[in-house]
Amino acid sequence: MRTTDNNGREFDNTADDPRQRAELVTGGLGFADVTEVVSNVAERPRPPLAWYVALAISVSLLGVLGAMILYLFSTGVGVWNLNNPVCWGFDITNFVFWVGIGHAGTLISAILFLFRQKWRTGINRMAEAMTIFAVICALLFPGIHVGRVWLAYWMGPLPNQMAMWPQFRSPLLWDVFAVGTYFTVSLMFWYVGMIPDLATLRDRARGKIQQVAYGLLALGWTGSSRNWHRFEIAYLLLAALSTPLVLSVHSVVSFDFAVSQLPGWHTTIFPPYFVAGAIFGGFAMVVTLAVPSRALFGLKNVITLRHLENMNKIILVTGSMVGYAYAMEFFIAWYSGNLYERFTFMSRALGPFAWAYWTMIGCNVVAPQLFWFKFFRTHIWAMLLPVMCVNVGMWFERFVIIVTSLSADFLPSSWGGYYPSWVELLTLAGSFGLFMTLFLLFIRFLPSIAMAEIKTVMPQAEGKGPRGFDYNPDEYESPGRVLATGGSH
Amino acid sequence: MQHVIDISSDRLRLEEGRWQPLARRLQTAGLGAIVVALAIGAFGLESLLRAYVMNLCYYVSIALGALFFVLLQHLTRAGWSVVVRRLAELFTTAFPLLALLAAPAVLLILTGGLLGFPAAVHQVYPWTDAQYVAKEPLLQAKAPYLNAGFFAVRLAVYFAAWVGLSAWLLSRSLEQDRTGDPAITRGLGKWSAPAMYLFALTLTFFAFDVIMSLAPSWYSTIFGVYYFAGAMLSFCALLALTVHLLQRAGYMVRAVSVEHMHDVGKLVFAFVVFWSYIAFSQYMLIWYGNIPEETAWYAVRQTGGWIALSLLLLFGHFMLPFLMLISRAPKRRLQVLAGLACYVLVIHWLDIYYLVMPPYYFKLSDPGTAPFDLLGLLLAGLLAVGMGALLAGYVLRRMAMHPLIPERDPRLTESLAFTNI
Repeated sequence: MRTTDNNGREFDNTADDPRQRAELVTGGLGFADVTEVVSNVAERPRPPLAWYVALAISVSLLGVLGAMILYLFSTGVGVWNLNNPVCWGFDITNFVFWVGIGHAGTLISAILFLFRQKWRTGINRMAEAMTIFAVICALLFPGIHVGRVWLAYWMGPLPNQMAMWPQFRSPLLWDVFAVGTYFTVSLMFWYVGMIPDLATLRDRARGKIQQVAYGLLALGWTGSSRNWHRFEIAYLLLAALSTPLVLSVHSVVSFDFAVSQLPGWHTTIFPPYFVAGAIFGGFAMVVTLAVPSRALFGLKNVITLRHLENMNKIILVTGSMVGYAYAMEFFIAWYSGNLYERFTFMSRALGPFAWAYWTMIGCNVVAPQLFWFKFFRTHIWAMLLPVMCVNVGMWFERFVIIVTSLSADFLPSSWGGYYPSWVELLTLAGSFGLFMTLFLLFIRFLPSIAMAEIKTVMPQAEGKGPRGFDYNPDEYESPGRVLATGGSH
Repeated sequence: MQHVIDISSDRLRLEEGRWQPLARRLQTAGLGAIVVALAIGAFGLESLLRAYVMNLCYYVSIALGALFFVLLQHLTRAGWSVVVRRLAELFTTAFPLLALLAAPAVLLILTGGLLGFPAAVHQVYPWTDAQYVAKEPLLQAKAPYLNAGFFAVRLAVYFAAWVGLSAWLLSRSLEQDRTGDPAITRGLGKWSAPAMYLFALTLTFFAFDVIMSLAPSWYSTIFGVYYFAGAMLSFCALLALTVHLLQRAGYMVRAVSVEHMHDVGKLVFAFVVFWSYIAFSQYMLIWYGNIPEETAWYAVRQTGGWIALSLLLLFGHFMLPFLMLISRAPKRRLQVLAGLACYVLVIHWLDIYYLVMPPYYFKLSDPGTAPFDLLGLLLAGLLAVGMGALLAGYVLRRMAMHPLIPERDPRLTESLAFTNI
């Protein structure tokens, strides 16, 4: 399979000619080739060495996470450095960070679907999977931070003999519902979308185990028109249902802070600002995972440079929205004339946590500006720089919001500092282990690209294209299509 | 692309001879209504000033929605919207007249009021009243921003940006009508990105300066987004309505199909929901936080006759249009969609009314009740008609000068062949 053009470079389909749409699958692939390329990831006898190395590291970190949680449960939350006034630290920072990461998947699958963004098909499956795993990581933290974890079920509205009921006026409870709903619907969306591709893997499977496993998961999919008809209705409805969820989840997370009266927490822009930030961080994580995945598993023709460039543009857009929100917060803090508001923001920029604040600004506002340049949007190593910055910066954003506001509120006598304990640091590292383990298993054993969907956006789907019928080469000449003439196998 | 629609038989230009007289009549009627409003307004200068400011903000919001729409289509390289984009470009030609209409407000604030206006100006924009500011430490703290000179400079900058940006977008698009050069599309796409920054900042600070500063002790970081949501909503509604009226008059009948209008209808629906989301976020957080400086603004709107307006917005700006627009049918029946568009334009007008008209009370010890101002409603209605007719006539003249669609846009065929799945 060719993944480079005649000059030995990766196919560049990022050229921008308004007279025609760029192709989203490069290398002159036809329908059967797409199935081959994608199924190969799950069917090849053994994955590349790098996959084993990554899995070994991830599973080790997962073990660390397990050990840290065990230590926490057996000893108590005192093993974390939380105290008055900073009673939320790494735990809730990690929670918000992971929930945020879990936004890109559903945005891509639902909102970009409604916006008819065809390029979403190359990355939606991977992004949705990432969403599920990120939300699993997120759900972990509120669960373990409650202290007496054996009473965590109190968060649910379960009838009990004490007639005790959750506090419905608390945004912390809304979180349980919002994130729970989001997880359920995202999981359904991901799974429903995967059914046709699971059936493909089932039909191609050579071993008995694979046949049974994929067969069970494929729910008897036959590929009949009736199947497809119902599938498409279900998909559209799930997209419509997921769209408000993309906005609601992080809005509710922002309410955890914004309903309070604490300067730096109580501000009305929080809901849309958190949503923009979540998409920002989520896309950065998708790029982070897509870049090695496409290289390791030979997916460069389906996750093309154009897909990466588009995602980088979204990172620039949402990063700018986040920058706008920072600016509004700062301006209104001054404009309010309120002493405490003004102090909080000056203290963020110049106080004891200034290093965290400027890390956040540098990573979230300054670094994405590199994406104004096409070079950074379309060169792998160049794009990883801002993308990695965003991964770091979005963690720090939550840290800055949570810790600076708690550490210095209205009364100087109740101020206090915070630094994490080794348990907190290792728990954070461990959560990456959980996330990566799940992701590595997914990419190896499930259809990591939405094969069926990607075929609908190829020119062949409209009766045109390099290997479809009715192909007219003149009609398809574009800077990115040198390859069409050059045979693909 | 499935098939290409033949538009050679379509009428895509308004004949100047036919439409100029209507434009003139509209402008005359508009001026007449404004004169009547000014005459009646002599009995209540504060009401008159508020009515004028609110209508200014209303019409500016629609033009801003149009400007954003054009920028967004270029930025996202949209294909479907090419056939309706020119209408949006033409709407933005209203900016020079809007700048002219905004000039009296700036002058009044700069001069501290003319012809007995000082009291009214001080009541409407309390931060212009030096004596009042001297008593209010909070206002002194923000005096470096809220002062007449800087206010005038900022407004001049906003309008200059909007006039310049919209003139540039239209002229490039018209240039493409002549040359058909695809490089123009690429250039517009490229420069729309930084233009968005300019748009976002000017819109936000316009909303802060002209609307939020009516209650100078009040603040809300989401306020710019709130104004933006209404702007986009009302623009999409006006677009649907305009297409309907033009098609009834026999124009662009083939070029713009029910598929395009379905999408415009979806945008109206989306921005109904977005506005509600933003309005809810602002209200809920302020209500829950219960900090007097913030709740005072809502307290005024929940006393006297204003509570009725608050509830009307809750039901009429969210629930009703949400239910009306959620299904597919109304978005694909042009007459129904046009009717809903009229409704949305009225309800958005009431939203701006709700932002601007209620009086400002800062004394929390004595909030009193704010009686609903009937004279203000009359004046606002008159000015809405007057300024609206004036602007409609002005824009209609410009519409009659240019083709109604970008005739040689490289994505025109894609747009013509567009269908919803």
